Order: sequence, then C-alpha cells, then structure tokens
Amino acid sequence: MKSGRKTPGKDEFRFRKGDGVAAGAVVLAAVALLVCLLTANGGGSAGRAKIYQQGELIREVSLAENAEFLIEGEYRNTVTVRDGKIAITGSDCPGEDCVHSGWIFRPGRSIVCLPNRVEIRLEGTAGADDVDAVVR
Amino acid sequence: MRRKIPAVMLAVLMGVCALGLTGCAAKEKIKYQTTFLNLFDTVTSITGYEESEEAFNRTAARIHDEMEAYDHLYDIYHEYPDTVNLCTVNRRAGETVTVDRRIMDLLVFARQVDEFSGHRTNAMFGAVLREWHEAREYGISSPENAYLPDGEKLRAAEKHTGFDLIEMDEESCTVRITDPEASLDVGALAKGYAVQKVSETLPEGYLLSVGGNVVATGPKPDGSLWTIGVADPEKNGETYLQKVGIGKGTVVTSGDYQRYYVVDGTRYSHIIDPETLYPGTKWRGVTVICDDSGLGDALSTSLFLLDRETGQELLNRFGAKAMWIDADGKLLFSDGYERMGMDHEEDITGLGCTDSHLHRGGRAAGWNQPDDQGRDRGKRQPGHDGNLRKATSGCRQL
Repeated sequence: MKSGRKTPGKDEFRFRKGDGVAAGAVVLAAVALLVCLLTANGGGSAGRAKIYQQGELIREVSLAENAEFLIEGEYRNTVTVRDGKIAITGSDCPGEDCVHSGWIFRPGRSIVCLPNRVEIRLEGTAGADDVDAVVR
Repeated sequence: MRRKIPAVMLAVLMGVCALGLTGCAAKEKIKYQTTFLNLFDTVTSITGYEESEEAFNRTAARIHDEMEAYDHLYDIYHEYPDTVNLCTVNRRAGETVTVDRRIMDLLVFARQVDEFSGHRTNAMFGAVLREWHEAREYGISSPENAYLPDGEKLRAAEKHTGFDLIEMDEESCTVRITDPEASLDVGALAKGYAVQKVSETLPEGYLLSVGGNVVATGPKPDGSLWTIGVADPEKNGETYLQKVGIGKGTVVTSGDYQRYYVVDGTRYSHIIDPETLYPGTKWRGVTVICDDSGLGDALSTSLFLLDRETGQELLNRFGAKAMWIDADGKLLFSDGYERMGMDHEEDITGLGCTDSHLHRGGRAAGWNQPDDQGRDRGKRQPGHDGNLRKATSGCRQL
C-alpha cells in the first residue's frame, strides 16, 4: 500500500485467498511491533539505581529495599535508599552539593557528587511527561 | 455487502499497518544518555536519539573529547603539557603569546560581550575575581574560617581590570596582557561558548547540558520539543519551578544558588558585580532562552547584574527571552517567554528536602548598594546592530 500503484477501482476489487494470507501476515507483524514498542517505553518510577564512580559502574541497588551504605573515594558519600527513593544523605566533600540535591525516584534522574566523581543514576528513560533536562 | 467486508477489512489493516510502521519509525532511534564529571568543573549530561548504542557512544565520546579540549584551553587555573591555554596567557602577562584559534575566537567574543554588557560581563576582571575565588574556595572547604576579601585589596585589584589592558591580534593569533597584575577570567562565558561550538557539529536530536547551560541541536526524531525544567532556587530533589520547550536553541541560567559560600550566615554568590566589587544581589536567578549558548551565558550573567529595564533592552537587541527570579522568589517574564504547563511543581518527594543552606542572608557590613545608574550604562553601546560579528580570525587551530 505504500507503492505508487493506483488503488484499484471499486469494481475491479476482488478479495482473494492470497490477499487474506498476506493481510494476516501484515497484521501479525504490526502487532508484534506494537508489543515491542509498548514494552520498550515503560514509565512509572525507577526500580533500580546504578552507581558510577570515575565513569565505572561500581554498584547496582534496588529501590525496593531500604538500605544505607558508603561510597569511598577521595571523599565519602553516605547513600540512603528509603521508600523507593534514593539520596546522598551525608558527605564530607566541600560544599555538599550532592546532599543538597535531595531525593530522586523518577527514571533517568541522577544525583552527582562532583568532588567524589560519583553519579547515582536511576534506570530507565524519562517518561513523556517528565523533563529531558533541568537547568539550574 | 459482500464487497463491503473486504473494504472494511482493508481499512482496518491499513490502520494497523500504519501504527506498525510508526512503531518501526519510533523504534529506529532510541534515546540514550550519558554523563561526564570531568569537564568545566561541572556535570555534563548528553542525551541523544540514535539507531544504536554504539552510534550514540561514538558521538558522546567525540563530544567529550572536544569539550575537554575547550576546557583545557580555557582553564585559567591549571596548565597542561604541550598546551598554551589561558592560564599560560595570564602567567606570561607582559609577553606576547601565540594562542590557539579557539582561544582567539573566545577572546574576540568576550570583548564584544564586555562592550554590550556595559562591562558587567568582563573577561578582563580576573584581578578582582581571583580574590573572590580564593576566599570562596577556602570558605567552602573550611566553613568555620570563611572570610570576605579585603575591601582595600578589591579596590586595588580593580585598577588592573579592563580590556584596554590586553592587546589582541586576530591575524597573527597573538595576545599580550600589558599589565602584569591583570588577568583573564572567562568563567562567565567559556562553558557556554564551548558547548555552543560543539553542539554545532552535532546532528539534530541531541541535548547537551553543561552546568547551567542546556543546548538542543534540533527537535526529537518525532518532531517534538525538548522539555527543560528550570530549577527552583529554594528547592531541590526532583522539583523545578517550571518547564520550557526548545527545539533548536539554548536555555541558560545564572543564579546566586549555583556557586556560593557563607560568611557569618550570609551567602555570597560567585557572580561579582564590577560596579560594587561584591556579589550581585538584584536577582536570585535569571534564565535566558536564545539561539546561541555563548550569548546566552553572557546575557544571563549580564542580566543577573542589571536592572530589569536595561536587561530587557539587551534581550530586545539579541531577540532573546528571559525570566527573572527576584529576592522574594517572584517570577518576572520578558516578552515572548513561553512556559509549558504550570509553574511550581509540587514537592512530590514528600521528604521535606528544602535546603536550609539556601536561606537568603542579610547584607554584609560595608555593603555598597549596586547603583542602577551604573557609570557606564547607556554610554558605551557599540554602534553596530544586535548581531554579533562572527568571531573568526585568520589564525589556525594549534
């Protein structure tokens, strides 16, 4: 149907068995694609956080379980997971911008401790209603 | 009737196929994101739509390398092996130094910014900014011993500022700071200028965020705009003040909450007003929307230090838009500033993450109220129109 061929006139149109088979195949393919697409674009809140230091993945945590742990480096960050959210709740870095970043839970959001070269990134990509970036 | 059934079936099939095809098209390019923490002393985040992760990673690596080259060239605090950068130019004040074309172009741009901002955004203000930088760094690492720069010292340093203390030859790509006490500080411009230049080499569908600068290279593959949240100075976590949409262009914020330190309970921001030699206090923050991030950087810093009317004149001249946040948190908008949806997103985290460090402090003793009738205001508007001359010089990239 994307070809440049003229659509047959009403009277010429005949629905044949072969057409039915082809149509069925197209429907199947389309449904498969749609299913793929829908599962790929999941939304909601993030289930897991990946923690990077110096660009290397150093830890993965589930937001489903409350936890508290340390990230050692040039400085020391205390990371807290509580009620499906995550934050750096303590740090001996200058300025403590990471602690001031507060709690995050939405897919794609992140908290950074620049002096300790740490990034906590929530899995997934931002939902359609969420922002692509925050300018601060 | 017999004929109708196949016709209806065909219509349904076409619909399903069309959906399937859109599915195909949307699936072709997927959104990827990565972050770098080693550029311009801030967080760089790259978002892009690509057909594969490999393609995205290649582009992200190239962006990183180009940004790193700019970062090293524009660094005023460190020198790098085999690189003549702005730190070198400052250290060798008095001598003629041959520089990379990217340095020359930035300095030519900086000189134009100095002129149109009435010297509010002055890259030859290093002598004064150095005093504040030292005090701030010390105050951040050792809050209990935080101090303010000495007023006498600031006034003495002010004598060694201004673009008449630097000679620039665009043809030979040489610069010479004529006063050994004077120095360049491009902190208000370099980041925006660099991210703009790098963004110009990218395909559509990329979003770069470098500290307070966000640049979009064109709309998303489905044609929709990028949604940018403007942070709330009083809040943190996932909250933001409002959303703006951009296809191709930049959103830049200058705020007193970005970099600051505290002395005796009063917060001192990193944006120093050349009129008073102290941090600007007219606004909490200014967000500028325009089509060039170098210009956006210059405008947001200038507007942060200017009254609203003078700021609006600058915006008109460059066809830019802005939002000001005043001392009480009230929002003021320039003509044409369009918001998406509501302001003040609720604090949905519900964990009470309001930051006690972000309270608004009083004024320091000896404070000079910035003079709205600044001595240079309106006097030194260059004659040419709003379009900045493209900073191009004959010299080569070293």
